[in-house]
Order: sequence, then structure tokens, then C-alpha cells
Amino acid sequence: MSALLTCARSRLLELTRLRCDIFSTLYNPLGLRTGAKYLRARLRGPSMVQYYPKQLSFKELSRAMPELKLVNFEEEQRLFDVAERKKRGKGAPKKAKSPEESRRLAKKKRK
Amino acid sequence: MPFGKNARVLRDIKARVEVQDSEVLRRAYIAVARNETLPSQVRYQAQLQLNNFTKYQRPTTVKNRCTETGRGRGILSKWGLCRYQFRLKALKGELPGVVKATW
Repeated sequence: MSALLTCARSRLLELTRLRCDIFSTLYNPLGLRTGAKYLRARLRGPSMVQYYPKQLSFKELSRAMPELKLVNFEEEQRLFDVAERKKRGKGAPKKAKSPEESRRLAKKKRK
Repeated sequence: MPFGKNARVLRDIKARVEVQDSEVLRRAYIAVARNETLPSQVRYQAQLQLNNFTKYQRPTTVKNRCTETGRGRGILSKWGLCRYQFRLKALKGELPGVVKATW
């Protein structure tokens, strides 16, 4: 160790350079940041995407197996209810074609 | 179905997908911006490019939410469940190795 300490700085640098050559690492005597750690780090995206367990939706299921002819009862019921409501005159109002027709915009204007 | 995915979970899923898609490019820009051996002009340009990514392309936007209910707080990250769902599942014995403490 004492022999190393008495060595000239240039000799030590030469040694480091040689070591870098042998182990094929980057010779960086000033210790500058090279951004290598950001390239070396593992990608986090793939594990991030897998966080939520995959849930098969009805649409995907029926599209994957059209031969089963599955019926989405909840959706059928909803459409039936909407039709019933419309029959009783309780359906959604028609889309406004101008700001005068729109209740919300008309209110805003008055203020 | 245990839960209809709420909007916050859907937003989080969107963020996760976008982070994954843009991750390699973002990493490359970060590496250039942090590289002290490159000219400062190049590094500055890379930093500006990093600012151009959208909110959902940054990994900090991603938040671990409860996989059962979508709750955002009180998540036990090991199971990905909020504290209440964790309790329910643990008492039902659905979480292997988790037992109620008694002494």
C-alpha cells in the first residue's frame, strides 16, 4: 500500500485506464455523470401495466366467442327501461340546436 | 363482477399504458440531459424535450389504487388492496399467510 501511495498520480491514472481497458468499462477519471445509470436501470412500464388484474368485459367475451350468442341481460334491461320511460314521456330531452333552445346557455346569458 | 372500474382507475390504467409506451424515449432523453460529457446546448435541448411529455407519460402520475374497489388511500402495497378490503379478504382466508393476531 505504501508503495502505491508513493507512486506518481499519472502512473495511477495509467493503471486505472488499463483496468478500464481490461474490464471494458468507461474510463472516467474526473467522475463526470454520463447518464448511464438511467440507461442501465430496468424499465418500470411492464410491471406497472400488470398492476390491475385483467378483467374480461362482456363485450370482449362475446366478441371472442360469437358462436355462443351470449345475451347481456343488464344491457337488455337498461334498453327496455329506457324505451318504457320514453313511452311515458319521461325520456331525455332533444338536443338543443341553438343557444336560445339550451336552458343552460340561456341561463348564463341572463346573468 | 367485484367492481365497475371507476373513472380514477381507468385514468390510472391509461397513465400506466402511456408510461410504458413512452418510457424508452423518456429514458433516452433523461440520459442525454444528465450526461455531463455532452455540450450544454444538447443537454438543454433534451431537457426541453422532456418537458414536452404529457402528464400521463410521466411515471409519477401513476398511483397504486385498490384493485378491488379503486380506493386511492390506505393501500397495502404488498396486496394492492385498501385497508378494508384487506381486512375482509384476510378474515375470509383469501390472502395466504395472513392471520389475525391474537395474544
